[in-house]
Amino acid sequence: MDTLSALAGGFAVALLPVHLFWALIGVTLGTAIGVLPGIGPALTVALLLPATYALDPTPAFIMFAGIYYGGMYGGSTTSILLNTPGESASIMSAVEGHLMARAGRGGAALATAAIGSFVAGTLATAALTVSAPVMVALALGFGPAEYFALAVLAFVAVSAVLGESRVDGFTSLLFGLLLGVIGIDPLTGVPRLTFGLPQLLDGVDVVIVAVGLFAVGEVLYAASRHHLDGAAVPARGSLWMTREEWARSWKAWLRGAAIGFPLGALPAGGAEIPTFLSYAVERRLARHPEQFGHGAIEGVAGPEAANNAAAAGTLVPLLALGLPTTATAAILLAAFQQYGLQPGPLLFQHEPRLVWGLIASLYVGNAMLLVLNLPLVGVWVKLLSIPRPALYGGILTLASAGAYSVNRSVFDVGLLYAIGGVGYLMRGRRIPLAPAIIGVILGPMAEQQLRRALAIAEGSAVAIVTRPLTAALLALAVVLLFAPALQRAWQARPPER
Amino acid sequence: MRSSRRAGLLALSMALLMRPASTQAQAAAPRPAPVTDAVGLTSVTLIAPAAPGGGWDQLAREMQREMERQQLAGSAQVENIPGAAGTIGLAHLISARRGDGRTLLVNGLVMLGAVLWNGSPVSLTQATPIARLVGEHEVVAVPAASPHHDMRSLVAALRENPAGVSWGGGSAGGTDHILAGLIVAAAGVDPRRTNYIAFSGGGEAVTALLGGQVTAGVSGYSEFAPHIESGRLRAIGVSSARRLPGLARIPTIVEQGFDVELENWRAVMAAPGLDAAQRRRLATLVERMARGDGWRATLTRLGWTDSYLAGAEFEAFLDDERVRIGRIVGRLRGAAGGGATATPAGEWVFPGLVLASSTLLLAFQLLTRRQTPERGRRRGPVVRVAAGLVAFVVLVNVAGFVVAGTALFAAVASAFGSRRWRRDAVVGLALCAAVFVMFTYGLGVRLP
Repeated sequence: MDTLSALAGGFAVALLPVHLFWALIGVTLGTAIGVLPGIGPALTVALLLPATYALDPTPAFIMFAGIYYGGMYGGSTTSILLNTPGESASIMSAVEGHLMARAGRGGAALATAAIGSFVAGTLATAALTVSAPVMVALALGFGPAEYFALAVLAFVAVSAVLGESRVDGFTSLLFGLLLGVIGIDPLTGVPRLTFGLPQLLDGVDVVIVAVGLFAVGEVLYAASRHHLDGAAVPARGSLWMTREEWARSWKAWLRGAAIGFPLGALPAGGAEIPTFLSYAVERRLARHPEQFGHGAIEGVAGPEAANNAAAAGTLVPLLALGLPTTATAAILLAAFQQYGLQPGPLLFQHEPRLVWGLIASLYVGNAMLLVLNLPLVGVWVKLLSIPRPALYGGILTLASAGAYSVNRSVFDVGLLYAIGGVGYLMRGRRIPLAPAIIGVILGPMAEQQLRRALAIAEGSAVAIVTRPLTAALLALAVVLLFAPALQRAWQARPPER
Repeated sequence: MRSSRRAGLLALSMALLMRPASTQAQAAAPRPAPVTDAVGLTSVTLIAPAAPGGGWDQLAREMQREMERQQLAGSAQVENIPGAAGTIGLAHLISARRGDGRTLLVNGLVMLGAVLWNGSPVSLTQATPIARLVGEHEVVAVPAASPHHDMRSLVAALRENPAGVSWGGGSAGGTDHILAGLIVAAAGVDPRRTNYIAFSGGGEAVTALLGGQVTAGVSGYSEFAPHIESGRLRAIGVSSARRLPGLARIPTIVEQGFDVELENWRAVMAAPGLDAAQRRRLATLVERMARGDGWRATLTRLGWTDSYLAGAEFEAFLDDERVRIGRIVGRLRGAAGGGATATPAGEWVFPGLVLASSTLLLAFQLLTRRQTPERGRRRGPVVRVAAGLVAFVVLVNVAGFVVAGTALFAAVASAFGSRRWRRDAVVGLALCAAVFVMFTYGLGVRLP
């Protein structure tokens, strides 16, 4: 009951005309950004952070959430028509979706993606509504030791599970951790790794890291291979799905939502894994598995539903624990901190208008996105015809202005470019970027929580590890770390014979 | 035509985003006020040495509003120079504003503590003191389930095992830490043994206290207020000399037998190197502002205590405070260096681990060759983009953002195969001009 009345209060906030206006801006911007290849919601929110100083937190977060959800919708359009996923969570829908588009059923692919996103997004938002207060109640019992263990779990999950190799994941993570160490140690006041530069005393701003890795790195990378880009396939075929397509889609949507939300809520690296998993599940359960690889609608419906559900799922640990599990969530955390707000159990008590207004606006945003993406899909497709020179030139110019405005210093612009150079090299070696962002944000938190936990336990590491919840979380991290090796060992034993 | 549509679209969406910001900026902009103002200052800049939203920023903005309401100066602007607990802003005031009689820096106990704690090369003594304005007292609280019902019982536990009493509060060297150190010292225990757990602000310390993770919490009253009122926290001492009006239930630390008083005061300072007339004008300006009815209403609204103090008395107060806080911070800092009980893992353990493993992984990355190197990547366009980036950094302070940004835009466009550089330059120029206008007037962020 409490949750329902809180949600009702949230709707009262979210349905204010001014907030509807910001939600509309957010979803529009988010869809546009999702459609454009190479720029994702993390980058957009990072770029808009300095721009929202003058705005109240509630409209700002309603807009950010709209960008987040919108990016998930828009990404599918690019995947299907261009075979270039706008963001990593759309990789799976690019496979079957693009084949459908080539076969002249692009309209149906876009429709099942949009409706599936809506269905799963709404279901997952409902799950978020129910589970966030439960998580908050649990979180009050968390001390520094538990937060440290959670951070370790997030590190391992995001580095070991994402990307092609665990070594690459950890390389990226350590780059982030290293950047996170820079600056004055908050517990002792000792400057660390600042090389005597006063500009580094406050550490490296996460906006600089995110914009550097995503925007500058992406532009450099795109420059190296733009001559390979393909052209968009026109969206042919009716947007109306046939009866058969409906029948094949709806179960996939529900399964996608069921896979996406819990996996998104775990500190396990966001939307990629659930989309991969959903694709695999659909392929196994499909009545015509032979259609996979030739444009099977389930292969679009499931992963698209899963990625939207996962997006809602990541908001649970973000809001209830202050624990980001994806790059976008990490940037959203930075946004909260910019407003002097600390996501965590107390946020629900101190800022109910903000939190519940945000959650309610997710329902509203989902409905807006369905309208924006189905009838108006043609408008978004036109965005794909923006010439690349102007697009990338604009991105870099805005990124530079944004980086400068954080501290009004050219030093930051230089730092941005240097980090962008690293991002380019990482992309070239296919090293995932998300672990670096998680490392920058969670690294300092993990270190401080560990030192706090040690101080509280009067220096005894044993006292920390024997706390049941801490032990369980750390054990889970160890299992995740060695899971592939264990699995290989298991499979190496000949099952037959 | 397409790229100009793109630029137009971008500018449009950004303009939409900026709309409330710019209307706000217009509302806050100085009206064409009579320049014949009360103290003979045509304009004042209030430096808030913190990001927007914090206590110093709030004080600066309230001062700006009150000065404009009373028309004390032709115009008043707030400038945020965040960083290192305000010491970046202080350094700016001392080095870049010397002799500038139209600038005030908002500061306070936190900055005094931070200067001492961080061993900052700049000091508050280098600035010109003007006046103390507002204050907030600190509260010591314990969770409802705690066995401690007053300071005496907490201090008894402290004397028995100093490390067993953990104090949760805000950043190290800040007001909360200082108060914990003062209490430990007053208990007759070496403050080096204070087991202080620093949390970043915004409720983390409250969460730890509510969860029973730390023995006692230290904070300004407002942060604990909802939990004290709901009974989940018990306030066992307030750091004021007398019980606070409206909070008469909470005993002072002094009346429980420990001579500890602390106020988290906030003040304004001016630049060094002012002559007597400049100094008098600023002092008059601040005094008139602080004496106004509007100011009193502001203090009530925000729950701040009026602690106006100026002139020689303020200077004497600053000297006393510097000695007293300096002594306690010096001893607390000794603990952080690696005392017997405090912080078992020092500040170099984690960076050491990170550096060592990064080196290993980097070596691994450099030594291994990829099985399938990506085909078809070209270096030429990357070099062009990089040249654009270098040009931007070199040009931005010399020629300004618009020129540097246009150069960058044109370089990137050429890297992506555009050969119509004249059109690119025009589009880039339009885009940069739009961004410049948007940042400068919409956001109040001046680009060079």
